[in-house]
Amino acid sequence: MRWTGYVCAVAATAACTAAGLAMRTRFDLVNIAMVYLLAVVTVALRYRRGPAVLTSVLCVATFDFLFVPPQGTFTIEDVQYLLTFAIMLAVGLIISRLTESVRAQAKAQAKLEAHAQTEGMRSTLLASISHDLRTPLAVMCGASSSLAERGEQLSAEERTALAKSLFAQARDMSERVSKLLQMTRLEAGGITLTRDWDSLAEIAGAVLARLREQLANHRVILELPEDLPLVRIDAALIDQALANLLENAARHTPAGTLVRLRAKRAADELVVSVEDYGPGLPAGDVERLFAKFEHGVSEGCAGGVGLGLAICRAIVALHGGRIWAEQIPGGGSAFRFTLPLEAPPAMPAETALA
Amino acid sequence: MTTILLVEDEPEIRRFLRSSLGAEGYRIVESPNARRGSIDAGTHKPDLAIVDLALPDYDGRELIRDIRGWSSMPILVLSARHQERTKIEALDAGADDYITKPFGVGELLARVRAALRHAARAPAGKPLQLGPSRIDLQARRAWRDGVELHLTPIEYRLLGCLTKHLGMVVTHRQLLAEVWGPTHVAQTHYLRIYMKQLRDKLEVDPMRPQYFLTETGIGYRLVADEEA
Repeated sequence: MRWTGYVCAVAATAACTAAGLAMRTRFDLVNIAMVYLLAVVTVALRYRRGPAVLTSVLCVATFDFLFVPPQGTFTIEDVQYLLTFAIMLAVGLIISRLTESVRAQAKAQAKLEAHAQTEGMRSTLLASISHDLRTPLAVMCGASSSLAERGEQLSAEERTALAKSLFAQARDMSERVSKLLQMTRLEAGGITLTRDWDSLAEIAGAVLARLREQLANHRVILELPEDLPLVRIDAALIDQALANLLENAARHTPAGTLVRLRAKRAADELVVSVEDYGPGLPAGDVERLFAKFEHGVSEGCAGGVGLGLAICRAIVALHGGRIWAEQIPGGGSAFRFTLPLEAPPAMPAETALA
Repeated sequence: MTTILLVEDEPEIRRFLRSSLGAEGYRIVESPNARRGSIDAGTHKPDLAIVDLALPDYDGRELIRDIRGWSSMPILVLSARHQERTKIEALDAGADDYITKPFGVGELLARVRAALRHAARAPAGKPLQLGPSRIDLQARRAWRDGVELHLTPIEYRLLGCLTKHLGMVVTHRQLLAEVWGPTHVAQTHYLRIYMKQLRDKLEVDPMRPQYFLTETGIGYRLVADEEA
């Protein structure tokens, strides 16, 4: 890289010399000097100052040696050729300087644009955080200050109600902050999978137990075949993806809606689905649901930073699977993801182990 | 009076733990760092220790190993989210259970009570009652709704290991080492297969277990009826 400029300087000088020698009989020395000048300009335009200066010096030297009388020596009889040399050197320096400043400007521009992009991303993030966290924070400030400053004037029930709402809001906020952190980590590529042979049925059971409260108003059906193969996954992450999908189903459908968690084997992958028989997907581009900060239409005051599906997508992609959403004919929506299946590990018969 | 050692560097967290544990009638000894915690564990002889894993001077896991060197008191660890590895290491170092920050007091008190009950239990206790199922580990016999069940020798060993830590978390590594031997600690699929067998035989709804609980990515917890 660093040397190509210098190689070109030598090559350009050689080419000009060849051209000059061919022109010598029919053209004036001044025109041959112009050919050399062309070499200086070309090199100065493409490379940095070093190669430009080298071209100028080489051109001047060869021009002097081969063409300026007395030929075959570096002696100069006519002072006007000194001017030619000076001009060549100056042109080389000026053009290389110009090129360098143009290059620097282009670089700065690109940097500025990239910065503007991250800036835009950051402001969306901040807008989203402040929108989602301001309300719970306001509730927490209000409720806690009422308890701290007016606690004695309040009835026991009112005190308990305030404290309970404080607790609920804090829990909710912690959930949102943790999703934001998780998304940041996934995006920064700072997560490496801890893969182990695991059972999707076990993970699903644990998720349903943990989300008991959030799913209390929905009818949840678990449909997992008895012979579901084991998968080599990061259990904590798949647990989170499943939880996000189930939370979404609970949040975007009215109470009493049927939610079905199912999995089945299809060729060399496992297809895991969370289906609900609610109002279905919002109109428009379904893919956009998986973008960051995308809120479902019905979400409104229901909350959520709009990161749940983006997190799911990142987790599934890390596992080498796909995730997509479908409209269920007759009403409802389905979110499905795949997990690649590997050859199951050997399990020695019990008599051999016991 | 039951004494609880609380090793935690955040004064605000100590404050609310002090008031809520104090209100339950426990005596609290507070240590702001691991060094102090190690000394207090020796001088106050607490019945239970609550250890934060991110301490300013040295790692909470070292403190756990240190306490385990001379005492079998139950140890609960407090850990942040997304720190599965640290949690597992703390459990493997000898902690009995964990609570993830942020947590509610209800959750904490339930864990504290379970851990104290676990410590007070006679080592080879009475038969285990899991809803409709009853298991006599010493006699190696099991019944469901009064009908005798067949459990394999490995199923009994697994059940025995979980029962030894009844109500507490047992990591995959601990279970694999104890049931299959230390050369099999990476064979997590053994556990998946045998846990499914145990649940199919003993749980009312094996898909939504009430007794053999999954601690995703960490291990398992057996909860008997008396724990509920």
